[in-house]
Amino acid sequence: MKNILNKIIIVTIALNALVSCKPDLKAPASDKGSIDVTNYVAIGNSITSGFADGALYYEGQQVSYANLLAEQFKTIGGGDFNTPWTPIGTQGIGSSLNSKLVLGYKTDCQGVNGLSPVPAAPGYGDISIFSNNISAQGPFNNMGVPGAKVITVVFPGYGDATRPAGSFNPFFTRMITPAEMSTASMLSKAASQNHTFFSVFIGNNDVLGNALDGGMSTSPITPSGGAIGTGFDASYDLIINTMIANGAKGVIANIPDITNIPHFTTVPYNGLTLSATQAAGLNAAYAATGASFKEGSGNAFMIVDASAPGGVRQIKSNEYILLGTPQDSLKCAGWGSSKPLADQYVLNEREVLNLKEAAAAYNAKIKTVAEEKGLAFVDVNAFMANAKKGIVFNGITSSAAFVSGGAFSLDGIHLTPRGNAMLANEFIKAINLTYGSTINLVDITKYNGVAFPNP
Amino acid sequence: MTNLKKLVTTIILAVPTMVYAQGFQVNLQGQVQQGMGTAGTALIQDGAALFFNPGGAAFVKKNSIDLGMTATIANGQFLDSNSGTVNKTASPVSTPFTAYAIFGKDSCTKKGMTNLREKLSHMKGKIFKDKFQDIGMKFGLGVYTPFGSIVDWEKGWTGRYALTHLQLQAIFIQPTISIKLGSKFGIGGGFVYSTGSVNLQKDIPVVDANGNVGHAELSGKASGFGYNLGVYYKPYKYLSLGLAYRSQVNMKVNSGDATFTVPSSLSTNFPNGKFTSSLPLPSVLTLGVGFTPSEKLSFALDVNYVGWKAYDTLSFDYENNTASLVDTKSARLYKNTFAVRFGGQYKITPAFAVRLGIGYANTPIQNGYVTPETPDANRYIYTAGLGYTIKNKFTINASVLYETLKRTDTNLETNLSGTYQTNVIAPGLSLSYKF
Repeated sequence: MKNILNKIIIVTIALNALVSCKPDLKAPASDKGSIDVTNYVAIGNSITSGFADGALYYEGQQVSYANLLAEQFKTIGGGDFNTPWTPIGTQGIGSSLNSKLVLGYKTDCQGVNGLSPVPAAPGYGDISIFSNNISAQGPFNNMGVPGAKVITVVFPGYGDATRPAGSFNPFFTRMITPAEMSTASMLSKAASQNHTFFSVFIGNNDVLGNALDGGMSTSPITPSGGAIGTGFDASYDLIINTMIANGAKGVIANIPDITNIPHFTTVPYNGLTLSATQAAGLNAAYAATGASFKEGSGNAFMIVDASAPGGVRQIKSNEYILLGTPQDSLKCAGWGSSKPLADQYVLNEREVLNLKEAAAAYNAKIKTVAEEKGLAFVDVNAFMANAKKGIVFNGITSSAAFVSGGAFSLDGIHLTPRGNAMLANEFIKAINLTYGSTINLVDITKYNGVAFPNP
Repeated sequence: MTNLKKLVTTIILAVPTMVYAQGFQVNLQGQVQQGMGTAGTALIQDGAALFFNPGGAAFVKKNSIDLGMTATIANGQFLDSNSGTVNKTASPVSTPFTAYAIFGKDSCTKKGMTNLREKLSHMKGKIFKDKFQDIGMKFGLGVYTPFGSIVDWEKGWTGRYALTHLQLQAIFIQPTISIKLGSKFGIGGGFVYSTGSVNLQKDIPVVDANGNVGHAELSGKASGFGYNLGVYYKPYKYLSLGLAYRSQVNMKVNSGDATFTVPSSLSTNFPNGKFTSSLPLPSVLTLGVGFTPSEKLSFALDVNYVGWKAYDTLSFDYENNTASLVDTKSARLYKNTFAVRFGGQYKITPAFAVRLGIGYANTPIQNGYVTPETPDANRYIYTAGLGYTIKNKFTINASVLYETLKRTDTNLETNLSGTYQTNVIAPGLSLSYKF
């Protein structure tokens, strides 16, 4: 009896081993369609470089949309994508020589300890990134330079360190030899690599510079008209005509509406909370301006506006307070109430309109160029508008909400690894659509949002 | 007997979890029936009648005890249509079991039953042309696992924010009375107490500086009540009919534990605590036909109508809600389904039987609602079995079931998009003792 049982068990197990019943699902091989991605060159600004959390640093560079795109290109014959790497483990460097931001704890003026972006390193970031010239590792496929505008891409001498501070770009200087400092432009370096495919995602800073300064005239918006190096359209034409001159195909992208970016949408216009006494005091003080305040939350801040009677008024719901506005001053020093917010922290109605009009004109130009040249076109503007509402992918909801949305890094402008992966997929979809390729999308779930401290 | 007791204990401890079979219904009851396409509502052969048709249980000859176990080996894969990556399930082996005990009188002459016979005798000639000398009553106890699921996706898989692990088990304990009203007609009913558990895990898309993502584990015990009714009618020697209805059972989790592993700066957003939830185990209405053209040959056909529509929403109600941890309601919107099962048995000798079967079941899950919990699809099943009886007392039955299911879908809630394929092979063994 026991024998029979044993035999049956053995036979059953043997039967199982024989019938290997594992499914064998396989993705169809990617097709390159009508493109050759052997040598892909990306022209762009900070977003293309992988800048994130207020700084250029190694882990950010690794996951820039351009680097992720190059990784996917490898399935259809793409080669190495040479990147102007910063050192592994660096704290990074930003435009004010700052380090990258990390999410940490900060005690505010009211004594409340809470999560806040804080510099990863006190004082300066990794200055060696600027002082070490890495041109010997070039040429670089990733020609993303933080701060670059359409009009600076075509500017010879953009990396000329002999010029006064503020009139050259040290992120570009490190990528070129001292000998070519006065002659090299981003475009000339990009176009001299025998590229077979290119991407151009540029124009954000032509409006963003102005927006980050609260619409101040010291950082003007690039006009559409004007000569190469001055006007958007002529400069953009030169960039695209130069890149397609050798017959290469490419993908170009428009720019997002800045009012979809958390840097401008995180601080609410009506974030002022008042006691009854404070409300009464402000009502009395600002009676002439028509401002009104009530006890409790939901009061609109006071701002400086030279064109308003008396030079101050209450902010409107379609106006924006910048993320960089000192929060402690808002909470404890009477900023935005007894001390109206200075213009540099605010995008008022007029300034927002100027920015939107400029961006709309750029985007019309970019769309026209894409159609005329038969290039793949990425509607980043539409993508960011969707992100504002929330995008669901494989069970993850990502949105443009600051920190919690998972798509934007701690500077509120640049993307997280996950945001970059989502952007890379927009590029891939556009390329597949235009060129008949079947490149797989990036698996977004492999890329994370903002890292939370532990503890 | 102590050995038997030990065996039963071992089986119950080893238990649960079983796999895919039309939603999370497990149609692995009785090795004889498994050999025959999992049909057996009208062809009464052994204690599994307690499950298939309580009305037929009184027709099981003598007292009997049946113990069976099926090893279910499921291999699943998912091909992500976006990234082209393929992920696997970690080949879970689960062991649904069955235990049926039937005792009582095949035909009854006791006083009480005589009275019953007299009371019923006015029906004589009206409904059945039968002399009611053959009234019998049997009591039965069935302990079995009609529902369950285990899915364990590989670490870091692309759907991990939808699900990483699901283990569902339900053990039904069913005391039953079955009455034989003459040689042709039987009715029976059982009360069902169901006890089980659920363990659902998934990752949460929050990350710490070292790249560790968050994780949620919801686990709890569940219980519910129901019943199982059946009618058995055998108008001719070669033909039998069965109609059985197993009621819906709502498995309620009243005090489950929700445990979250997240970066500690978010621990107040994801407080550990209790949760409540419930899962409906659907009703099953079965019409069966048994056909026995000769002593050696018999066939069984079952048609099931399964009330999956009851599974409308999967809700989790957390005791401690925060902005990050809100109660969830996920649409499931299952449809009622049909299944057809057919099998045959041939007795090479009176003691040795071979069996073959086939089945088809359509899926309750609509397009847009396929999840990695239950990547269900329309399916064919193929089965085979053997039975060997020693001295009219002991019977050993072996069975094997194979099914494969493949489905491509984009889930409307998670946007998880791709092709699931699951292959299941389920060999089983049972031991029957008649006395």
